[in-house]
Amino acid sequence: MKNVLYILRIVGTLFLITALVAAGLAGVNAITQPRIAEYKAEKMEKAMKEVLPEGENLNAVAFTDETGMVNAVYACDAGFVVEVAPAGFGGTISMMVGIDMEGAVKGVSIVSQTETAGLGAVAAATTSSGQAFRDQFVGLSGTLAVDKDGGEVDSITGATITTRAITYGVNAALACVRNLG
Amino acid sequence: MKIGKMFKEGLLTKNPVLVQLLGMCSILAITTSLFNGIGMGISVTIILICSNVLISALRKVIPSQIRIAAYIVIIAGFVTIVDLALQAFLPELSESLGVFIPLIVVNCIILGRAEAFASKNTVAASAMDGLFQGIGYTVALVIMCVIREFLGAGTFGGGILNGGEGIRILPEGTPAMMMIMPVGGFLTLGFVVAGFQWLMKRMEKKKKEAEKK
Repeated sequence: MKNVLYILRIVGTLFLITALVAAGLAGVNAITQPRIAEYKAEKMEKAMKEVLPEGENLNAVAFTDETGMVNAVYACDAGFVVEVAPAGFGGTISMMVGIDMEGAVKGVSIVSQTETAGLGAVAAATTSSGQAFRDQFVGLSGTLAVDKDGGEVDSITGATITTRAITYGVNAALACVRNLG
Repeated sequence: MKIGKMFKEGLLTKNPVLVQLLGMCSILAITTSLFNGIGMGISVTIILICSNVLISALRKVIPSQIRIAAYIVIIAGFVTIVDLALQAFLPELSESLGVFIPLIVVNCIILGRAEAFASKNTVAASAMDGLFQGIGYTVALVIMCVIREFLGAGTFGGGILNGGEGIRILPEGTPAMMMIMPVGGFLTLGFVVAGFQWLMKRMEKKKKEAEKK
């Protein structure tokens, strides 16, 4: 009998603590969740505006994609915005590529990434070198390659894999829009 | 309660990073810019104070057989609260620290203080202990950040000062990129710990000499 009481006491205490913590977390989540969702939506919208400034009334359209990197394609009168997620050095890079009606890149924006700080992360940085890296894609079309592979894209020092990933992402977006016709 | 003594312990003689060598994973990973260091330091300090207070308040209720499980649940709860709050109110910091915020759960500083201090002392003393150990951790992080950022990126205050770019001290392209990478973390930590030990030994020696006279 004593043993049963002892087990009940231990189980009961741990259950109470976990229940209390869970209740606290539910409360915090209720406060922060709308803000987090709002921030994410805002960020996506900002990235879309950045890669296709003329884009208005963007609508998601059906697409065909062989690379498996394209998450969504949005179309409007001024062009397309493609959401791609290539695999980088430290995880998936989530990015937006704007493409005009002629099939050339209008802009590249990186929404989230987990690349090495100081190396690959430069690709997403708001600094002048990060901006210059992303701007080099503007106006390009066809299938791109990194300079190390004999292509036209200047890679970031010490971050060839990140550069390659972003280039593949842009290629996937370009191919996807070509498939749309 | 000896606040002065506790402060000295947290900052110097029992510094969680430089003497106890706890929480190494986060220290090596995130000390690449001052913004990261301060953000991580403050997050850990807040979690440490909260978990110390709650664990100390419950120290007579929690049976010793399940104390570790109970501590981890409490710590994980506070870490998740801080993680959600950062995502909602300081998204830039949350993105920059990435996975290392959830990983505070397994940061041994917090469980270590719960087990070694909060489970045996009053709530007020535990809160003080959390604050001082947190300050000790933050100071060590900031020292590491300043050294690595200067040598690796050639800037000071990256992420906060000068519109996030930091104040450039060395011209672009000259710094040793290696210092920003994990290798640089290990090297810096080694030198900082060695330098700190040397300083502590010297202070002790001087104190002894002064006592002799």
